[in-house]
Amino acid sequence: MVGKSLTRLGAAEKVTGRLQYTGDLKLPGMLHGKILRSPHPHARIVSIDTSAAEAMPGVVAVITPKDIPPNRRLQSDLAVLDWTVRFVGDEVAAVAAVREDIAEAALERIRVEYEILPALFDPLEAMKPDAFPIHPGGNLAGKPIVLERGSVEAGFAQSQHIFEGTYTTQVHCAAGMEPRAALARWEGDSLTIWKSSRGVHMVDRPALAQGLGIPAEQVRVICPAMGGGFGSKDETRMGTLCALLARKCGKPVRLEYTREEEFIAGRSRHPSITHLKVGISRSGEITAIHARTIMSKGAYMSSGNAVIRRCGQGSLYLYRTPNAKYEGTLVYTNLPVAGSYRALGAPQGQFALEVHMDKIAEALSLDPLEFRRRHHVQPEGQPGERQTPPGELVSDQPVEGGIPFSSNRLSECLRLGAKAIGWQRRWHSPNSSPGHQKRGLGMAMGLYRGGLAHKAGAEVEVHPDGSVEIRVGTIDVGEGAFTTLLQIGAEALGIEPSRVSILGGDTATTPEAPVTSGSSTTFSMGTAVKEAATTLREKILDRVCAHMGTSRESVSWNKGAIQITRPTKKKVSWKEAVALLSPEERRVRVEIRPGSTEFVINSFAAHFAEVEVDTETGKVTVVKYVAAHDSGRIVNPVAAQNQVEGGVIQMLGFALTEELLTDLKTGVTLNGNFLEHKVPVIVDLPPLKTIFVNAPDPAGPFGAKALGEPPSIPVAPAISNAIYNAIGIRFQDLPITPDKILDKLRLQERD
Amino acid sequence: MKIKKRWDVFFIVNGKRRSLTIEPHWTLLEVLRDHLGLTGAKKGCDRAECGSCTVLLEREPVYACQVLAVQARGQRITTIEGLERNGKLHPIQQSFVDHDGVQCGFCTPGFIMTANAFLERTRRPSPDQVKQALSGNICRCSAYAKIIESVLAASRRGKRTRA
Amino acid sequence: MHPFRYAEPQSVAEACRFLKRQGPSALPIAGGTDLLNEIKEGIAKPEFILNLKRLPSLAQLREKDGALRIGAMVSLSQLAGYPILRRNFPILSEALSTLATPQIRAVGTVAGNLCQRPRCFYYRHPLLLCAKKGGRTCFALDGVNRYHAILQNEPCPMVHPSDLAPVLIALDAQVVLAGAKDKRLLPLEEFFLLPTQDITRETVLTPGEILIEVQVPKPKAGTRGTYLKFRERGTGDFAVVSAACSGRVLRGTVVEMRLVLGGVAPIPFRARKAEEMLLGQKPRKDLLAEAAQAVLSEATPLPGNRYKIRAAQTLMVRAMQAVLK
Repeated sequence: MVGKSLTRLGAAEKVTGRLQYTGDLKLPGMLHGKILRSPHPHARIVSIDTSAAEAMPGVVAVITPKDIPPNRRLQSDLAVLDWTVRFVGDEVAAVAAVREDIAEAALERIRVEYEILPALFDPLEAMKPDAFPIHPGGNLAGKPIVLERGSVEAGFAQSQHIFEGTYTTQVHCAAGMEPRAALARWEGDSLTIWKSSRGVHMVDRPALAQGLGIPAEQVRVICPAMGGGFGSKDETRMGTLCALLARKCGKPVRLEYTREEEFIAGRSRHPSITHLKVGISRSGEITAIHARTIMSKGAYMSSGNAVIRRCGQGSLYLYRTPNAKYEGTLVYTNLPVAGSYRALGAPQGQFALEVHMDKIAEALSLDPLEFRRRHHVQPEGQPGERQTPPGELVSDQPVEGGIPFSSNRLSECLRLGAKAIGWQRRWHSPNSSPGHQKRGLGMAMGLYRGGLAHKAGAEVEVHPDGSVEIRVGTIDVGEGAFTTLLQIGAEALGIEPSRVSILGGDTATTPEAPVTSGSSTTFSMGTAVKEAATTLREKILDRVCAHMGTSRESVSWNKGAIQITRPTKKKVSWKEAVALLSPEERRVRVEIRPGSTEFVINSFAAHFAEVEVDTETGKVTVVKYVAAHDSGRIVNPVAAQNQVEGGVIQMLGFALTEELLTDLKTGVTLNGNFLEHKVPVIVDLPPLKTIFVNAPDPAGPFGAKALGEPPSIPVAPAISNAIYNAIGIRFQDLPITPDKILDKLRLQERD
Repeated sequence: MKIKKRWDVFFIVNGKRRSLTIEPHWTLLEVLRDHLGLTGAKKGCDRAECGSCTVLLEREPVYACQVLAVQARGQRITTIEGLERNGKLHPIQQSFVDHDGVQCGFCTPGFIMTANAFLERTRRPSPDQVKQALSGNICRCSAYAKIIESVLAASRRGKRTRA
Repeated sequence: MHPFRYAEPQSVAEACRFLKRQGPSALPIAGGTDLLNEIKEGIAKPEFILNLKRLPSLAQLREKDGALRIGAMVSLSQLAGYPILRRNFPILSEALSTLATPQIRAVGTVAGNLCQRPRCFYYRHPLLLCAKKGGRTCFALDGVNRYHAILQNEPCPMVHPSDLAPVLIALDAQVVLAGAKDKRLLPLEEFFLLPTQDITRETVLTPGEILIEVQVPKPKAGTRGTYLKFRERGTGDFAVVSAACSGRVLRGTVVEMRLVLGGVAPIPFRARKAEEMLLGQKPRKDLLAEAAQAVLSEATPLPGNRYKIRAAQTLMVRAMQAVLK
């Protein structure tokens, strides 16, 4: 089963429109919620008068900060509703009414008096010591992180050349097609909430319990279906407001974001400023890499800590060097909240790194591919000494050296990708093609954590009729996670996948599970499913042996049945075998801490792009794209290819067209829509080739490693490097839009 | 000239006559989703930008979110719910299943409705024609390559594809 | 969406009378693809909506002596599918294929395309009261103005978003406007207003007046035309810059040429300087470049949109090259 392209689960429900997303659900007596948002980037609420709104026919309840007990927080810096608003779009109040348009009209009748506070949009301004504080503790969000292996100071002292550069990336929105929604229903003190989620157990349930001031046991969270999340649907404020409205009304309430709300009150990719310094020795070795990143957090922390850490992974680990240092700082600004989005900070950090390394290759007169071949991290890992005590699980985003990878096929990615794009033949020196349509080739590598979660649980139950149900606490966010988990379960059991079903995304019926994040599903949840299924299978075999009076050596699996060779030749069907189990035995639940005590588990990629730049309009056309990936053994090749293609296209938007724009005088988001936050459309699809090394990883379930996020990492630098190759101009700030290209060409010609 | 706040109207939805009283500011999408219980067409943007709400008005694909329901009164409307015949998937639907032209599925009904109107008109389209025809629908999972494959494969089945 | 009352007039005259009587509280609707956005954003708050789409007299599309008469309510897809269009008005075909998306073309109308409101994101933002909406400030002039005008851009740097307008002006189209009492016929070029004339509206339509027909004369034999549209994405985008050119060359000499730009000014911008420089001349490459430069010598780019000069230069030269070969 593993390695076959099983048809995606739920495909028929999706193509018929029968699959119900949260916004499609209806309950009897259900009301509709709407949120009042701040028109100011930073202000204190002096007073709120809701009487006119409450008097409107059809309005059932209004909630404001007055309804929230003090210190009722979702995160240390995020109140359920606060008396201070910190970005244009920050939540002020919420209304429930019998119809959505009535709730919307009621918002206009809520009178709010604001005291305007100074607003900061630039993180460099906001981090100055005398800047006006956005939160009581000042504008540094959390403590800046410093991670170091060896000593970069010593490394730079040994170097002959030092290369420095600064790189910036924009605010970029995940913009899943489904605007987030929630539907809350109370029965007494117990809440059931259906919502867009990426972690019913470990994200939504505890946050909702905290925000509502009730024990977690009284909260049931169900994610019926996800219309695309890409990591960004990991906030719980809207769910909490929905639940509060429902509690106040005593009726179910559904709250759906508009598209604009999804852009401004969802979660976006953190914009970043990265400064890189790299030392090269006389013999051409990398003696030190030092990266410093500042990210604008927007108004609240969200998942900033993970994002800022993930941003440094490339600089610390993609190139072999004894000395590497990464410093990451998060700064509050009065902008929409940045949070999780596909590969967290890795695309930002590795954009800087991979454009910088391209520049170094050129300065050393090396072909960019050759430079990377010489210097990328090898299977034995980074030089240095292991710091993690023996026997302890190794981080999949380590800083230390001295630990080998479980598998690392980066050199295969480079070889196969280069061949597919025709690198040897087609790569030329920069700006050397004639005419105004200039072609160029570029490439970039990427590495990412291989999918470790802190904890993963799964339950496998076989029913008397022989059907098997796998229960997991994670969610299929649209990428096909349940399909691959089902394949892993079927493989471990040795039965046809048609006998197996999978259930997930419901705190009441599934075991605790991590968030669907960090590309951890296939690896961590896959390991848990495999273990549960294997345990069940062993139990069945034991029972069959006992029943038939034979030993384990004499039984084997044969096409979903059990073949017995001694004492007599006999076949026991799956159903017969299952019947031998007691009800308790039919169910196996495991909880594991996935990972390895010996190896770093990472996924790898190398991407290659050919572009054509029209130097008279600034238009960039991607002519050909090759994405080569080492994600271990591929569980479902077609779904995997679909996911890589999707990741590449989504990030072509990050590279070339997408940016959430803010007016720097008013703090207003200007383009929270699909017309102007220009996500790629179908005609932008370039010829695209996906290559999987498809070599089993010894640590992963049936050899699999993470895949979801890695495709998003090397895209922007590969494109920037290809543009450089075409026209001889470096682009170190994203997105690379025609206006920037034409402006730089004008300067190039003037010089 | 009647100037009214409420209109008694009917539509022919998936071949059935549906009568109801509507308010003029309701969009066709609101009527389908909130009043006729047809939630297959999705509200992805409500601004005629994403295509998740695409339905057929007569035989043209339109953004149901940006059509006033009252303007469409009396007309034939086909939604994703109207494609199956006798419990069997329409060839385009089957093709999307077979070729994995689906990820999260939210945009899928819209793509299929647009493809349906297009294949009705164009028997053996080129990949480029398919791209142009589907250019008003956004898939953020960006399963575009597989969507094109699905539509081309459906066209090769060579059957009548009319809804 | 903000509620309103709705009516279906039985005739153009009835519609005009009603609109005139109600003033700004009543708005006509055609396809609604733009108007409904404005109502949803709270930029337009009409009390009455008048549906013109069911008026049969406005839905006619016909040819008379080679000239094209397009009823105001003809949909963009209907026009694109008109049999003789590709042969006699290929430039119009080109423009229609780049315009919006198939779903919008199915309901959007010719009149709606010409009467659509600007896409400036400051104008469109419900929280910002810009000069165009009766406020005192233009936020774009010192804000994000990458997509704004480089010509005639004071006091409002909006750009006219229509793809059809530059093409129809290049084809020397005329529009018929109907009022409660009479009709008037005027060149489409004169239909559009600059912000200096009236910052709150984009056309000469007076209260109670509606656009009912577009007339496109038959191009003389030997006329060629092209429409080039530069945009950042493959579809869906409005033009960053566009150029429509129609012209005729006789024995190596330009005898007729009209060149109109989109995306550079608050109105479709007629590049008269270029036209004058080329008439009676041989279309040499350097002359085309000079002509385009002459047009853009008047440009007053904003901090974020200097690149549009080069883009417009390119599109003008390419369009003239395609037409005057």
